[in-house]
Amino acid sequence: MENTAQFDLNFALRLWLERLGQSPQVETENLRELEVHVRDSVVHLQTKGLSSEESFLVATHRVGNPALLEPEFAKINRNPWNSIVHGLILIFFSAVCWLVWATLHLPGRTMQGIMARAGLISKATGFGLQPGFTQMMVTFSHFMYIPPLLALAYCLYVWFRKPSTKNSWTGFFAITTATLIFILLPTVVAILLPVIVVLNHLPANIFQP
Amino acid sequence: MCRKRLVFNRLIVGRARLKTPLDKHCIARHSGAMLTKELVAASTVPLVLSVLTDGETYGYALIQRVRELSSGKIEWTEGMLYPVLHWMEDEDLIESEWREAETGRKRKYYRLCKEGRKALREEKQKWMTVHETLTKLWKIQPNSI
Repeated sequence: MENTAQFDLNFALRLWLERLGQSPQVETENLRELEVHVRDSVVHLQTKGLSSEESFLVATHRVGNPALLEPEFAKINRNPWNSIVHGLILIFFSAVCWLVWATLHLPGRTMQGIMARAGLISKATGFGLQPGFTQMMVTFSHFMYIPPLLALAYCLYVWFRKPSTKNSWTGFFAITTATLIFILLPTVVAILLPVIVVLNHLPANIFQP
Repeated sequence: MCRKRLVFNRLIVGRARLKTPLDKHCIARHSGAMLTKELVAASTVPLVLSVLTDGETYGYALIQRVRELSSGKIEWTEGMLYPVLHWMEDEDLIESEWREAETGRKRKYYRLCKEGRKALREEKQKWMTVHETLTKLWKIQPNSI
């Protein structure tokens, strides 16, 4: 009986809520709602003859273990980090796509200049003797804006969709990385081919001392 | 869909998990009088929607109403109801509002939306199909149970 007299419901409730509130996934509004729930439950149990302490223990037990409640609230509450990471991946992906475009254009022109100087192509004919694969990749590079646009469309969907249909950033990261590998491999080949062509057409004794 | 199922499963499994990780079997032990966790999980949304057709209510009252109507056979891990309510809110089935009750305490009241009424009609049809089928089966073989 002595313990019951000393029991402070508000203090016990505050401790219980603090324990639950340690998780960033449980929002203040969730805590407020659970507090109201426990208070209602305590009042109801007290009318059945339970002491304040007993009512509190039964009420919190019925609400459930905080360790099990946290992940459930995490699934419902929107996680801002998911959106931020999606944005960072989008920036990175767009930057690499732009780099691929630039790689296929700027050094390509430089390469053309070198080849023209080496007498392999005439400046007037432009691509002239540039390998066919390189020419094809340069043509494809005009459509390099499409993958970042698709990625942007997906990110907009992720940012503005309902939180219940959460998409993890790991899936987005995996798809963008796979796409980059798919784009980068032929790009590397395309920019190396003219170099090989140029080296092959150099005079035979150029590297001899 | 998978996430939704997880939330519902935890709704009933929560307390059982404290005892043993084999929650499914643990729940099954009480299935004589209590409903299995799968059945409780599946019936949560139609139950919430149906209770809300009587008018708006708050979480604790909703749980009490279901406990009372089921004579204590439907036992939820009470805290697990709130993520379900919030999920239903995200799906526009219900809407909520913080309001002061007669006691002076602020509570979050939930009420049914148009989408919720539509979902309830669909749920009713599904549950009635199961009910009718079982009733017909049990009428044919009344002594075999």
